[in-house]
Amino acid sequence: MNWYQWMALGALAICALVLFAHFIRLIRLGNPTDYSKKSGSVAKGVAYSSTVAMIDHKESAYLHIPTYFAGMVYHVGTFVSLFLFVFFLINIALEFTLPLWLKWILITGLSISTICGFILFVKRLLVKNMRNLSNLDDYLSNLIVTLFQGMTIGYLLCTCVETNYYIFVCILLLYMTVGKLKHVVYFFAARYHLGFFYGWRNTWPPKKVK
Amino acid sequence: MEKLSQEQIDKALKILKMPADSKLVTHLNACVHCGLCADSCMYYKSMKEDKFIPARKVELVASLYRRYCTLTGKIAPKLVNARDLDEKMAEEMIDILFGACTLCGRCVKHCSIGVDIAYVVRTGRQMLAAMGLVPATLQATVDAALTTGNNMAIPTEEFVDTIKWMEEELIDEMQDENARIPLDEMNKNVLYTLNPREPKFFPLSISAMAKVFYVAKESWTLSSTMYDVTNYGLFNGNNEEAGIIARHLHDEVKRLQAKMLVLGECGHGSRANRWEGPNYLGMKYDFDMITVAELINDYIRSGRIKLDKTIIKERVTMHDPCNLVRNGGLVNELRFAVKSAVNDFVEMNPYGNDNFCCGGGGGQLAMSEYNDRRIKIGEIKAEQIRNTGATIVVTPCHNCIDQLMQINHYYKLNVKIKSIAEIIADALVIEK
Repeated sequence: MNWYQWMALGALAICALVLFAHFIRLIRLGNPTDYSKKSGSVAKGVAYSSTVAMIDHKESAYLHIPTYFAGMVYHVGTFVSLFLFVFFLINIALEFTLPLWLKWILITGLSISTICGFILFVKRLLVKNMRNLSNLDDYLSNLIVTLFQGMTIGYLLCTCVETNYYIFVCILLLYMTVGKLKHVVYFFAARYHLGFFYGWRNTWPPKKVK
Repeated sequence: MEKLSQEQIDKALKILKMPADSKLVTHLNACVHCGLCADSCMYYKSMKEDKFIPARKVELVASLYRRYCTLTGKIAPKLVNARDLDEKMAEEMIDILFGACTLCGRCVKHCSIGVDIAYVVRTGRQMLAAMGLVPATLQATVDAALTTGNNMAIPTEEFVDTIKWMEEELIDEMQDENARIPLDEMNKNVLYTLNPREPKFFPLSISAMAKVFYVAKESWTLSSTMYDVTNYGLFNGNNEEAGIIARHLHDEVKRLQAKMLVLGECGHGSRANRWEGPNYLGMKYDFDMITVAELINDYIRSGRIKLDKTIIKERVTMHDPCNLVRNGGLVNELRFAVKSAVNDFVEMNPYGNDNFCCGGGGGQLAMSEYNDRRIKIGEIKAEQIRNTGATIVVTPCHNCIDQLMQINHYYKLNVKIKSIAEIIADALVIEK
């Protein structure tokens, strides 16, 4: 392993530790204690919240289909890029060669998600409401993740960018510990709490209105 | 605004620094500022000012959290927009968190992430309450409940007189000298509660429900002192005061040894007692507590009352109170009651869990300084009602009724606004 790969491994460890610490903090703080008499099912509420509720009659989705779609693709691209990074690290030992067809599928998919990320960045920059809502962290997070996907494409195309790729991954992983990218942990917790709240009160899963 | 003292700031920040569980920390860290919640908020839809976007409301509280509770916010506040709690911030919080949110929770359901925006706004209100910065108009409503037992400070003699008057009306209508509106009777099955707007402005809704109880042969009573189902402590953000008010009804059930507490037609009051009350008091209640709509449904299902759907010939629609439906899970219970009483029922669009607030929730009706905004956002509900073609709007919430009556007048809807008890009483079959 080269120095930059060791550095990336270290950054990954720091990132995983910090995110794990956030997760553990949530676990230690625990669930809200609710003394009211439960009316519905928390388990069903959480299951609905974590699945169908993401698209079912959700205005943030159906009123904003292009943005919502771009966001979904962008997030898929991010997770694929992260997965590839871990794969690249492991592959130092395995020395497995990705089949060409898979490489091109990944490059095509990541190109689309990178474009989506860039469009979201530009939208945040140009739309007045979005600009007023955003802080520096919002722009940086978006930009770093988009560039990370771009770097992944570059590395898939040519190993000559290997050093730059790993250094950039370090930046991403370390930035994840300070900025809003931490929402990778809090997103799931938010869905859980929402499911708990609506499930307890029998609002979710929604009933067929009679 | 006067300069905030360090003591005020410390009290407010304690709420952020010492969370009771993981919920607050989760929601303060989860918003990604996508802004897709904007169109779910009545304030933003009506006025198109970006300060009304729900994410901006969350950001007010979250920016304080980042400033005082995160390393990044302490070291590089500009990077993450971590703001100081100062007079400017407090003024902004009052204007937005009290004056531009009904806590309806519509944005919560539609948030792309699942941030409980209403909960964060309520937390912001808690911080303002800790600093003694609740708008005076809203605090006066809470103070009235704390000192007199009801939020309109109705003297007991006046209340008892109103009840006696309604009892006479009931006797006349039922042509039965034994028809009663019992007060302070012990060991009854039901302790019924009211929104003080009823004895003050709409006493006929009391006699309507008394008529339902009469026909159902219910064993019930009202309290002459602790009958107020509302709890504006839910809105002013002061959990201690909310707890004292919630205890009024809890203790009255015990004093009168009633079997069941029936929550009158009030959305936030039902929520404050049914869902929040036990948490304010930190204990489980050892008696049953249901809303009046659920009780009426029991009567219908068990055959204790019979309804004639042909009596009401007009088209009827229903406004879903946010605290009973989206935040209370009663979407079908409310419909069962109303549809049992009328033939021509039509839904608004949207309705149920997706309904729009009437505009009067979250304490807006008590805060006269925000009246213009309240009437403006009510235009959405007015259009919904107009589009149904209905001439009667039913809603089981007297705060909603008050707001709907105002928008009915302002937007010239020419509809009648009724409570569920009233529509049921109108359709009631009286068997002699």
